[in-house]
This record gives sequence, structure tokens and C-alpha cells, in this order.
Amino acid sequence: MALEDFRATVTRCSRCSYCKWIPFAHVKSWRFAKGCPSIEYNKFQSYSASGRLCASLSLLEERSSYFDEGLVDIVFKCMLDGCCDVACKVNRYDFEPVEVMRQLRFKMIDNGCFPPQDMPLIDHLRKEDNMMMEPKADRGKWAEGLDVKDLTQEKAEVAFHVGCRASFDEELWRIPRTAVTLLRNAGIDVGIMGRDENCCGGRLCDMGYRGEFLKYAENNIDAWTTAGVKTVVTTCADGYHAFKRLYPEELDFKFEVLHITEFLDRLITEGKIKFSKTVPMTVTYHDPCHLGRRGEAYVPWKGEQKKIRGQVLVWEPRKPRYNGALGVYETPRNVLKSIPGIKLVEMERNREYAWCCGAGAGVRERYPEFSSWTAGERIEEAVATGAEAIVSACPWCERNFTDIVNERSESMKVYDILDLVREAI
Amino acid sequence: MALLREVYEALEDIVGPDNITEEPATLDSYAYQWMAELVTDVTDGGKFFDRPEAVLMPGSTEDVQAIVKACNRYKLKFHVFSTGWGPWAASPSEGQILLDLRRMDRILEIDEQNMFAVVEPYVVAGQLQAEAMKVGLNNHISGAGAGTSVLANACCFQGGGPDVIYFSSPQDSILSIEWVMPTGEILRTGSKGSDLGWFCAEGPGPSTQGVIRGALGGAGGWGVVTKIAMRLVHWPGPAQMPIEGTVPSYKAQLPEDLFRAKFPAFSSWQDFADAVYRIYDSEIGYIAHRQFVMWGDELQAAFLNIVTDSTKQLCDLQELLETQDIQQLTEEMQRSFQLILVGMTQRDLEYQKKVLDHILSETGGWNIALVDEPAIQGYVLLFMIKLCFKNLNFTATGGFSDTYNSVASPDVWASGEIEAGKKLLKKYAGRIADAGDQAMGPIGGQGGGGVTGWEDFVFYDPYDPDSAKAAMEISDEGDKLKAEQGRPPGGMLLGLARSTHADEEVRAKKLSKSPEYHWQRKLKEALDPNGVGSGNYFWGAEPSKEGKK
Repeated sequence: MALEDFRATVTRCSRCSYCKWIPFAHVKSWRFAKGCPSIEYNKFQSYSASGRLCASLSLLEERSSYFDEGLVDIVFKCMLDGCCDVACKVNRYDFEPVEVMRQLRFKMIDNGCFPPQDMPLIDHLRKEDNMMMEPKADRGKWAEGLDVKDLTQEKAEVAFHVGCRASFDEELWRIPRTAVTLLRNAGIDVGIMGRDENCCGGRLCDMGYRGEFLKYAENNIDAWTTAGVKTVVTTCADGYHAFKRLYPEELDFKFEVLHITEFLDRLITEGKIKFSKTVPMTVTYHDPCHLGRRGEAYVPWKGEQKKIRGQVLVWEPRKPRYNGALGVYETPRNVLKSIPGIKLVEMERNREYAWCCGAGAGVRERYPEFSSWTAGERIEEAVATGAEAIVSACPWCERNFTDIVNERSESMKVYDILDLVREAI
Repeated sequence: MALLREVYEALEDIVGPDNITEEPATLDSYAYQWMAELVTDVTDGGKFFDRPEAVLMPGSTEDVQAIVKACNRYKLKFHVFSTGWGPWAASPSEGQILLDLRRMDRILEIDEQNMFAVVEPYVVAGQLQAEAMKVGLNNHISGAGAGTSVLANACCFQGGGPDVIYFSSPQDSILSIEWVMPTGEILRTGSKGSDLGWFCAEGPGPSTQGVIRGALGGAGGWGVVTKIAMRLVHWPGPAQMPIEGTVPSYKAQLPEDLFRAKFPAFSSWQDFADAVYRIYDSEIGYIAHRQFVMWGDELQAAFLNIVTDSTKQLCDLQELLETQDIQQLTEEMQRSFQLILVGMTQRDLEYQKKVLDHILSETGGWNIALVDEPAIQGYVLLFMIKLCFKNLNFTATGGFSDTYNSVASPDVWASGEIEAGKKLLKKYAGRIADAGDQAMGPIGGQGGGGVTGWEDFVFYDPYDPDSAKAAMEISDEGDKLKAEQGRPPGGMLLGLARSTHADEEVRAKKLSKSPEYHWQRKLKEALDPNGVGSGNYFWGAEPSKEGKK
């Protein structure tokens, strides 16, 4: 579908502002009632989901132009974290704010309208196949010394996909190294692509570069097929969302996709991972947007909208709903709760209405101040719980949190969930 | 028509460059509003009202004052909103600037002992409620729901809602206010006017409670209220609502010995009206509203089934309507309402339950058993106490307006108006949703002496021009029927939208039947000599000859 196909949707927005808040049922305080970092930081109505729908209609009706000064900022200064989508759909069952915002980005890019700061990033990506401004040759360095199959040479049932952030961010190498070690120790037939791993393309897609996303998706599917892979495991929420939702939406995709926390939960339940040490710590868990509300599996569907009882809008046949209900929320918590000594406390905004870390959809690269501000808001929320540490399950979240904690000299510790698992074994 | 650079720069100097914009897509995001597709039929067409010339976001009372003074200096009209939901939030005509108050979003004080809160314009009801509950208090939430401004609902709009039976109407809960008048002067009313705190509306400082609010509030054209103190009420429940369940079917299980949701139902409207009188006279109930008929009396049972089960979707509607259980429940709910009993003690709740049982036995009514199921009980308590699902009005078709509304004593429920409204809607079924009677409204408001009433909703599709046109035709036909009975036009929402956006005919009708609007118009002209406060229902885009007399 294209932006033009959403004309009815953008005409039916009630402009109620629910997209700016967490679902009102869950509002617990004045301080943490807001759900949308974009409007909170940028203030004007056009920076909300509703505002972007209005802007879309304005463009479709040629009241404004794709080339208007300021429009690029409005369209792209947003993590596409999807809290708006959840809050909207509490009432507007079949509404699709995030989908409209994605299509608006595609349309902008098609028209050659994108943030100028993208240029070096995209140039580099086309040469080096990663989002990190690093040479492709260094991509496999994180795995040096690990005893793990090379999927370019051997076959394996499970492919472990690292993703751009953890491949090149040396401080985060411990995350994929721990994941692979745990899988190997549990007897899993796992391999990696190493230097030849491709970007998942998920972040590119959210940034608006659908063409580049498709190229990487096709490459990854080909590589896994050649290597005889049946299951893809990742520690990255962006990658999880790409494989679970975006790939099957666009391409023929037959692989099982698991986030490492799902795999760990399975292994712990089966007794293949046992903890022998206590980790005495009070922690709070941050739900990565692309693992949680945006991590719902794609469900094939073809149908159309019809009207019954005169004007009541329904989809026939029954259309899958992506409203955050089926995201990955409990398995990371199960893993944390199974670690002896860990006390888990929740932030006010959690699960499908969690506040974003600020790194998504290219915002960390395009708008670093906004990205840092968003992460800082989350750290303040974590501090309010009394926890000693904030734990996440995505290297992008961890990087953003670590940077802001260091910048502010906060005492809050930042962990990936694998750090605590490793410590307890 | 862009602002003169001199004017723009003067405004920019006040709020800073980050808080003013003329960017076209942003301006359109402020021109886009619900109901524009109805109202712009009579002006320009489309989903957009007139673009404001610029949008400003003041951060303080001082900013607002400086802007208003600049508007007087440059003879520039301004329109203002808090959360900005609804056609009355859009700029009523070209050549105006728009003040978006979202930066003024603080709860300044919750006085636990004296039971009031002081807030700025962008504090929404759901936020204040969350903070108030922590200290055993609660605040009125307008029928528009938890996401709307406490301040705007109290002093700029009608602002009533399901809880008025206990909380009283919002205009009765206004204490001191801080008001930047259309001339730029700052008026602090009530006790705050004598710098004695915010606790009292009527003095020892000046009282303007009637002026600021009037019949229906100034709807953004009456200067800018920058702070307000609002009365709070007791909350005997937990400091935080215990929410459970999966999105979107959240539920709250509250202590059964203090909270109970009921669905009183009746076999005749006369019995319904009698029970409403008795409930009001008995002073029981925390919230009382004919709420779920907002989906239409023929669809409410099926919709309730959908929204309380997170696996259900709108496409299940038709199948549900064909089941015997839903058909029976639909019949049973036809003349029913939702009543939330809240005991300040266990004995208090027991007393209220006994009184209700007695009223039901005397009026031939009954409590619909469905509400006693834990899942329904939890959903209804959450819905009614937090008003967190109010936007479900839009779920069926994407748009709704109103038509054959009534506000009167409880006898109105037995007056035949429900049937008249339903007949009117049935005539247009097909072009609008065929949902039956959609008379949703509060059961009784203490402040109004037990006044009750409803809004008759019309579900139309904003994307379907013929459906939108039907909504307008229903409104006109409803007004005609009312006129034949010698009564003012109905359709509060649509009427306000039409008259705000330069439908002189509708405005004239309102003025001819509602003398209070004449007084507001005269006051407005006295307090806004340069006419810089923008138009609304009692004051057109330009001052009228009538208003200048």
C-alpha cells in the first residue's frame, strides 16, 4: 500500500490526542503520563501521530508541498516507537497511525526529501553494508576466538544474527559473545555469518529507505537458505522486528524467528540453563519498542473494508490486529525473575505503553539531542522506581541509556539481560 | 495572508523562535479537526478549517499577557485552546493567530485538607486524577474523557459528564482563577484576587464565576484562563487503580465492599424517569450515566461484548448481533443506564445498595445480571471512573455528531423525545449507522438541581460525503422539530461547531432561543473593546449589530 491508499484513514482521524499519551487506563502520575517523545520534545501538533496524519492529508490534497521547509523535520523526527499506535487503537480499533507514518516516509524519500544528515550514512551503507560508519571487514571481529560455525562455510539449524550495533560497538561485543556461548553450551547447532553478515534493514525501513531494506532482506534470506537455517535468533530488537514482521510482510519467509530472551526462557524452562550464583540487585526492565509492541508477528491477510449497519466499518475477512497485545513482554521478565537474587520492579510505563529509549528509526543518528533527551526521560523514570539498574534486551537501547547515564554521571547501571544471566551461571 | 514581519517578530520576541511557527503542514495540523467535513460544507469544503496565520506556544501567564497586548496593539485576532480537540479549537476565520497552551501543563498544587487543586491549561483530567487519588481525592472528568483539559472543561465549555450526580457540574467546582482578559489585563478572582489563596470563588476578591463561564463558556474566544483552582471530592479507593487485562480490554478490580457497578433497567420510560428522580433524591451514586448507548441501543450489547474481550474485533459485530444472547441483552439494555456506587465506608455502600434495590422494586426495575460478571464489573468500573475509553464514540464509523439533544428535569426521559430522536435517526439509516437510539447522558446533576438529559449521537463516515451530508440534514431536521415545540435547537456539539465557524443562520437560531448568549455577547463587547478575542457561538467572526446595542 502507498500513502494514497490511506486517504480514508487520514480523513477519519478524530484528532483526539490519545496518541500523545499512554493509554489513559494506565496513567499513574502527572510526570509519566505522556507516551510520545516526538510531541513532547518538539511541542507543535504536527509532531504527533495525529499531526502527521493531518500533514499527510495536507500533502495529498496539495495544500502543502513535500518540499516545504520544515516538513522533513516533522516527518522524520520520530522514533516510530509505536506508543501512539497502541494508545490510538485502544479506542480506534482498526486505525493504523504508524503505518501511515511509514508510508509518509517512503513517499518523502521517493520524492528526494530526507534529512541532509542521512547523506553520509546512506553513502557509507551502500559501500560497507552497515549503519555504523565502520568498514565491512570489521564486522566479524566481535566473534574472534569463539568456537562457532561459520555459516558461509558450514550449515547449521540456527543462525545467530548480531546486527549492526553490536557488531561494531566494541563495548557491546559481550552481548553476542554471551548469547553464542549460552546457545553452544546448551547444545544448540548455531552458526554466524561473521564478516558477511548483512544489515537486517529494519532500521533503514523505519527511516524510510524501503528499497535498501528489501535488498538486505533478500540477501539475508538467500544466505540463510543456503546455510540450511531453520531458526534465526537475535539479540537485537530492531532485527527481531525486521525478521518477525517486515520480512514476511514483503517476501517469502519461512524461518522461525526468536529473540534471545525467548530462547533463554525456553532453555531455562527445559533445564538446559541452570543458575548457580545469586545476583543481589533490584532492577527495572525496559521494553524495547521493536521487541514489545512493534514485535508482533506478521499474519498473512488479504481482504477489504466493508460497511455493515449502514456505515459501520469492518474488515472482511477478520483482519489481524497489531495493537501491541502480542509483543514479547513476559519472556524477558521470566528470565529476570528466574535469576536468584534479582528483584524486578516496574517502571510506570511498561510493556505495550513503555517509553522509548530514543534510538529508533534513525533518530540517534539524525537528531542526537532529541535522542538523548528521550533516553534521559527513561532513565529518570527508572530512577523513580528505586532500582539500581535498568536492564534491556536490545543493544540500541543499551547504547542510548549508557551514553546518557555517563553524560549525566548518573549512578544507574545499564545492563543487557544477558549480562545478568552470565553473572548468575 | 501572512503576518506582517513586524508583527511576527514582535510575537517571536515574546515566545522565542522555537515556540512560534508559520510552517504550512504544521498550520494545517491545527486547521484539521473533527466535524470540519460537516461544517465546511457551508464555507470552504474539506477536512480543514481556516489555517491560522501562526501558532504560538506561550509558556507562562506573562507570555500570554504579552501576546494579548500585542494583539490589541496590532488589532490582531487570537484564538486559544488547551488540548485542542474539536472544531471549536480551530481558528474560526482567516487572519487569526492560534495559541496552543501545551507548554502550560503543571499541577501547581493539590490542597488535600481543603480539597482542591490548582492547575494550568494543559493538565488533563486523567493526570490530575492520578495525582488526586494518591491523597484520597478525585476530580470531575468531563464527558469528553480523561484526555481533555481540566481548566477548559470547567470554564470554557459545557464540561458536564457522568459523575455530576456526585461531583456536581464543573462550573460549580470552579474556585479562584487567573484570567488574562481580552485587553491583556490580568484578573485574579475569588480569594486569589485578595492574595489569600485559591480556595474560594466568591471572594473576598472579585467574583466572575458567572461571567467567565456563562451558559457554555467562551470556547477560546474569551481571553485566556491561565490558572484555575478546582474543587475535588473524596476517593475511598486505592492510591493507584489496579489495572489488569490485555490491551484494549483493560479492567480494574476494585474492593467489592466499597465499589459496585450496576446496570439499572426498566420496562418503560416512565419507570426509568421515576427511578432517576428517586436516585437523585436519595443522594446515592458516585457516577450515573446512560453511557453504553453511545454505540446505539441496538448495538450496545454487541459492542460491550467486543470491547471487554481483547480477542474480538469490529468484524465480529454482525455475527454477535445474530446470537440469541446478544439479542436478549440488547432488549434488556434498551432502557438502562450505568450506575457506580461508591461507599466511603462498607456500611455506606451497603446502604446505597439497599436504597437502589428499594428504588428498583418500587419502579419495577432490575439490575442487569451481566454487570455482576467479574470481567464486566472490572471493565465498567474502569470505564466510568477513569473515562479512559471515551473515544469509542468514533470506533464504529470514524465520526459522530449530535442532533436531538435534551436537557431538562428527569421527566424528559418519559416525554417521548427518546423515541422521536430514534425515529429521526431511523429515517436516515444507511446514510448513517443504523444503531438505534443514541441518547447518551448523565442521570442527574446536583448542582443543576437534578437536571438530566442526553446527547443524541449520529454516527457518520467522515470519508463519505453523503454520510456527512446526512448528519447535517438530521441536525437541521432535528432543529426544525424542536422549533415546532418552541424549544431551542439541539445538537450542542455540532451547533457549537457550526456557529463558531461562521454559520450565521445557526448562530442566529441559538441567539433567538437562548437569551443567556445575548448577555455573554454584551459582556464580551464590554471586555474586549478591540474585538481581538476570536469568534464563537455567541460572538461571530465579527461583532454583530445586535451585539453592539
